[in-house]
Amino acid sequence: MNARKSDRVADVWGDRTPFGQNETWPVRVDMQLAVAETEVDDWIQSACVLCSNGCGLDIAVKDGRIAGVRGRRADRVNHGRLGPKGLYGWQANNSPDRLARPLMRVDGALQEVDWETAMGAVAGRSQQLLREKGPLSHGFYTSGQLFAEEYYALAMVARAGLGTPHLDGNTRLCTATAEWALIETFGSDGDPGSYTDIDVCDTLFLVGHNVSETQTVLWARMLDRLHGPDRPKLIVVDPRPTPAAREADVHLALRAGTNVALLNAILHELIVHDRIDAAFVTTHTVGFEALRETAVEYPPDRAAAICGVSSEAIVEAAELIGRAERLVSTVLQGVYQSNQATAAAVQVNNVNLLRGMIGKPGCSVFQMNGQPTAENTRETGANGALSGYRNFANDDHVDELARLWNVDPLTIPHWAPPTHAMQIFRFAEEGSIEFLWISATNPAVSLPELHRIRAILGQERLFVVVSDAFLTETAQLADVVLPAALWGEKTGTFTNADRTVHISDKAVEPPGDARADLDIFLDYAERMGFRDKDGAPLLKFSTPEEAFDAFKAITAGRPCDYTGLSYDKLRGGSGIQWPCNERHPDGCERLYTEYEFPTRAEYCESYGHDLISGAENEADEYRAHDPRGRAFLKAAEYIPSDEQPSDDYPLQLTTGRSVYHFHTRTKTARAPQLEAAEPDVWIELAPGDADRLDVSEGDVVEIESPRGRVEARARLTGIREGVVFVPFHYGYWDEPEGSEPNGRPRAANELTITRWDPVSKQPLFKTAAVRVTKIAAGEPVRTSGREATR
Amino acid sequence: MNRLGGALRELYRAEEELADEYVKVGERLGAEHELWYGCKRFAQQCHAHAEAIRNHAARYEAELPPADDAEVGESSTAALRHKLSELLGRRPESGLVLLRSLRQLYLQAQEVSFHWLIAGQIAQATRNAELLADVDRLHRETLTQIKWLKSQAKEASPQALVAGQPLETADVR
Repeated sequence: MNARKSDRVADVWGDRTPFGQNETWPVRVDMQLAVAETEVDDWIQSACVLCSNGCGLDIAVKDGRIAGVRGRRADRVNHGRLGPKGLYGWQANNSPDRLARPLMRVDGALQEVDWETAMGAVAGRSQQLLREKGPLSHGFYTSGQLFAEEYYALAMVARAGLGTPHLDGNTRLCTATAEWALIETFGSDGDPGSYTDIDVCDTLFLVGHNVSETQTVLWARMLDRLHGPDRPKLIVVDPRPTPAAREADVHLALRAGTNVALLNAILHELIVHDRIDAAFVTTHTVGFEALRETAVEYPPDRAAAICGVSSEAIVEAAELIGRAERLVSTVLQGVYQSNQATAAAVQVNNVNLLRGMIGKPGCSVFQMNGQPTAENTRETGANGALSGYRNFANDDHVDELARLWNVDPLTIPHWAPPTHAMQIFRFAEEGSIEFLWISATNPAVSLPELHRIRAILGQERLFVVVSDAFLTETAQLADVVLPAALWGEKTGTFTNADRTVHISDKAVEPPGDARADLDIFLDYAERMGFRDKDGAPLLKFSTPEEAFDAFKAITAGRPCDYTGLSYDKLRGGSGIQWPCNERHPDGCERLYTEYEFPTRAEYCESYGHDLISGAENEADEYRAHDPRGRAFLKAAEYIPSDEQPSDDYPLQLTTGRSVYHFHTRTKTARAPQLEAAEPDVWIELAPGDADRLDVSEGDVVEIESPRGRVEARARLTGIREGVVFVPFHYGYWDEPEGSEPNGRPRAANELTITRWDPVSKQPLFKTAAVRVTKIAAGEPVRTSGREATR
Repeated sequence: MNRLGGALRELYRAEEELADEYVKVGERLGAEHELWYGCKRFAQQCHAHAEAIRNHAARYEAELPPADDAEVGESSTAALRHKLSELLGRRPESGLVLLRSLRQLYLQAQEVSFHWLIAGQIAQATRNAELLADVDRLHRETLTQIKWLKSQAKEASPQALVAGQPLETADVR
């Protein structure tokens, strides 16, 4: 089949290539080029960084610039396909407003300086603070967009160089609950399944996972099964009528924040009607009795009343799940950013465990990621765990890491979990963090309650360093801005939600003086003089490949074992799934095929938490009840979210994504096709609610919460009544006022609440109460992207 | 009131006082978001415990004071405390206030836990299966509160006490 050009804006998922159970997903190569194919000078291997799916692609180079992309037919993830963001998003690299020189705040304004001046200022301030205020004065907030090598360097800088626990990624916003749900159930992070499970399953259970818009190529794979022979059953839990929901056999459009009640009712049905694999549960899990006691409190009638769905629909969904022989369950932000995030995500794990459907072809649960390299912040220890999925509360794990890094174990902060993002900002707010380095992310648009975040970043006493490719809303508030190379302009690796590791080779030079984040962190480490115990440089690598080899050495023997991988091995064919080691020289398709879970006290990544309060379990307690390789069935009662609709704020707000945009549009708004597809913020209202508010399609409305206001055009959709949706992508950099909503507030996070899940510490973006008022009449808006996703 | 009733009365009092403390701390530390929500939930839990104890107390001839149902954010001084918390919350000393508050909650929760232990002994010695079942369930919730308070204190103390001054270790590596 030849590579084809097609309009992936109007036709988001492309032509169907139906296939049946156990068949191979057909190849379909998608391509987008700014020049004729014959004009391309070079094709460079990479993978897409604009969603968490991790589609393999080749970058076309023409005259030293990126000229397009083509899906890699050999890649196991996408079999040649690319989604709209992948096909068009590369154009951001060539954008004329890329940052090409460092900037420094002089007399209140950012001015161009050279690297020596900028890095001298960063290291100078850092050294002074370290001397006068100690390492806890430093915080780092990174991304889901960098490469594994870069996160690993940053983790070493923070944990062993400075010795601060204050390092986290914006992955905390997208993927922390995936991580913790896996840890709570299986003892360690790492998604057990493989995307090939889609090819084999007979039932798909999608919980708060709008896969049709968040991972379009994965949805294409599901659609090809759904349109093929022996169509799998599809159950979708989502308050919105997403494209996936419209394909469903059962769509449960529940009230926002009630996932635990619904899932408990499904567990109730499985248990009461004996749809469980009792032998599996007895042999390979602990905690069934407590789970049963909780589940029996949630008969479908009770859950129906809580969730606002019909009891019959719950029963039907449980029937389909109970009859499944090969069940794939998937979870994303509808759970992770909602009330009781980890508790709910764990209940989905429980569904698969009760049915014994894990570790076998077509049987798995996917705790999905939101970003392409989120998996790597987790593996490298740039977020809530120590490098290599190590347990901060286990002294042996800390000692091992200290030995590998050749530092004193006391240097590595492990008195408590690594500080989560919202707490890092809290420490900056109270003034105990005075140096904050933000890399490749945009908290001034993406964190909750933006007026608060802007106030924190704007403080005189806080020294803010931002490394980014563009002058984002956050960069505009910085003291020093460091111009960073983007994907395609540097080499590195990253890993997707089914553990597939891809290499992304450097295709072109970055613009102007921009540098790779790895080089920036190494420069900082050098200037700071970080040394190991023997006085040698702490970071003993200077190239991406050396950094990769250093990282893989510390994964030996851990679940995310990279030791069998190398840059050479990753080049030429498909991405490869970890663990890749002597036992699995070509990677490992599925974890837990022998039903041995990494829960042993000496091996597990965490001793776990109380799912309701987030209280940490203690080591002695855990050892006394060591599950020794069995998985946990952890129960949770339903607890209503704190901010319920009221007379003043009668509607529930849920925020989320557009299929055409990524994060805060920093890249996607600079790709003309994507920008034209969804150029501005909107609000989705149910027709019944719109009627009561006297709002018609296209009217301009004001949305208010106790924390702020947003103006947006109304869209009437089949969303559940009482719930409104606002996409969170839109900020202010391309508005006249720059970083702030001086003219027209349009960032959804003006409205959201500062509140996080007690276990995963993921902010709960989907739990605010709002009111909506019409401001002005308007005409329905037509965009090139509208119809495709309605 | 017999001696057994007196013991349940002590437990009741300790739960209600702990609830009050959660309310006070939650409101005083409104800028510490996790603490605010934790205190709010645990204040409710303590009230629920107190209510459960009331149901058993009659059997042991204990007269309990009237129930209190103060909630975080709804007490008469909530608005004032909240304003203070916002002002204080932007000063480094807020960490010390946090730590002192956690200590007070921890001590009171330990007291509650002690009284649950005694209540469990009473339940066994008087062969009161219903009380025993409640003690078993509710004492576990108090122990979870204690674990949560420890988690909070472990995270908060280094930042409250160590940040802001030079690290005095001879050799930090």
